[in-house]
Amino acid sequence: MALSGRIACLECDLVLPMPELGEGQRANCPRCGHTLTSRPLDGFQRSLAFTLAASVFLVAACMFPFLSMKAGGFENAITLFESTLEIYENGQPVVAVIVGAFILVIPAAVLLGMLALLVPLFQGRNAPWLVASGRLVFGLSPWSMVEVFVIGVIVSLVKLASMATMVLGISFWSYVAFSICMTAAVSSLDRMYVWDSIERVSTR
Amino acid sequence: MTTFPSNTAAAQGWATCHTCTKLASAELHHCPRCGAALHLRLTDSLHQTMALLITAVLLYIPANVYPIMTTDQLGESIDSTILGGVLLLWHHGSYPVASVIFIASVLVPVGKMLSLGLLCASVARKDVTRMRQRAILYRVTEFVGRWSMVDVFVVAILVALIQLGGLLVIRPGVAALAFSGVVIVTMFAAKRFDPRLIWDQLNEDALEEGTLEEGKLEFGNE
Repeated sequence: MALSGRIACLECDLVLPMPELGEGQRANCPRCGHTLTSRPLDGFQRSLAFTLAASVFLVAACMFPFLSMKAGGFENAITLFESTLEIYENGQPVVAVIVGAFILVIPAAVLLGMLALLVPLFQGRNAPWLVASGRLVFGLSPWSMVEVFVIGVIVSLVKLASMATMVLGISFWSYVAFSICMTAAVSSLDRMYVWDSIERVSTR
Repeated sequence: MTTFPSNTAAAQGWATCHTCTKLASAELHHCPRCGAALHLRLTDSLHQTMALLITAVLLYIPANVYPIMTTDQLGESIDSTILGGVLLLWHHGSYPVASVIFIASVLVPVGKMLSLGLLCASVARKDVTRMRQRAILYRVTEFVGRWSMVDVFVVAILVALIQLGGLLVIRPGVAALAFSGVVIVTMFAAKRFDPRLIWDQLNEDALEEGTLEEGKLEFGNE
């Protein structure tokens, strides 16, 4: 058997012909059902649009009040950073670092990686950092937990709603919008399609 | 040297790059396209998965025994554990919140540890039944792992918001650290498990039954 023109399923190692997909098509492994690759409808346009929108919302989420709580004459407002800082100051610094990494640092790194990757690919140009950005994005994205954090915030709001008045800040809504755009952008990136595109622009 | 079923890439000495999916000769050691290390199979997958799994099971004990947060109200301290919090919410009639926390903090991590244990055991026993179901089980296990962080995030928000001087203060507990550890370690365990091992148990006898030829692609629409 010849190597060229073939791929193997990442999850069961079955040798398969390299799929030639039209726009919007997807190829599955016939043996284990793993989605081998999918081709977006409009190249990198949609992924880039969601990435740019997510960047704007992330910046906004860092600039305004996140949540505030009013109960019996007391009022306490927090920013997004304070949601991890308070754990740090209350005796669990490691948990604070983990939470900060999962909800802010890693998502921001993935976002920067996606910008560095998608802007040149969208223009069909080569860039010396494409391989590094690709490795960063695909390596780190499982550790970005923005949508999980949104569910966590909603659960805490419901928990507190009976004992206090909760005010949702601009930063909260920005973070929700950021999580939607970020999830859409990450899930629109197909590993094989992205790397085939990197190979195409770098060997031209 | 292990032998691989004849329809796999490994039998030809080819390895799929885990970073960029390129198929290349394993003799290159590094992917010609992206530079990541190439392996026919993840190194020592079963042992490493089992070791991480045992670590997660051990961490899950303090995560449930110790308080995940402590409420200081007018000089009185109340500890709450993960399960205690779920039961309290249930008694107060907050069924949706109680269910979300129960699913995220109990069902998902326990289910994940059980399914990884089952997958490792089935590969170690060289099981050749229900392969596609086990492949799906692995995929679900890998997908749901991150969702168990919900409870730690809830503690983060409560600790940040409820700081009303001497009246009412919430502090994070040791269980928050142990539970974050469970989530992280099980995510690494799922990553270390190589799902191709499920299919490697198909020896030549099983192949001769005629169920497996070189594959034809299945197509679908997004």
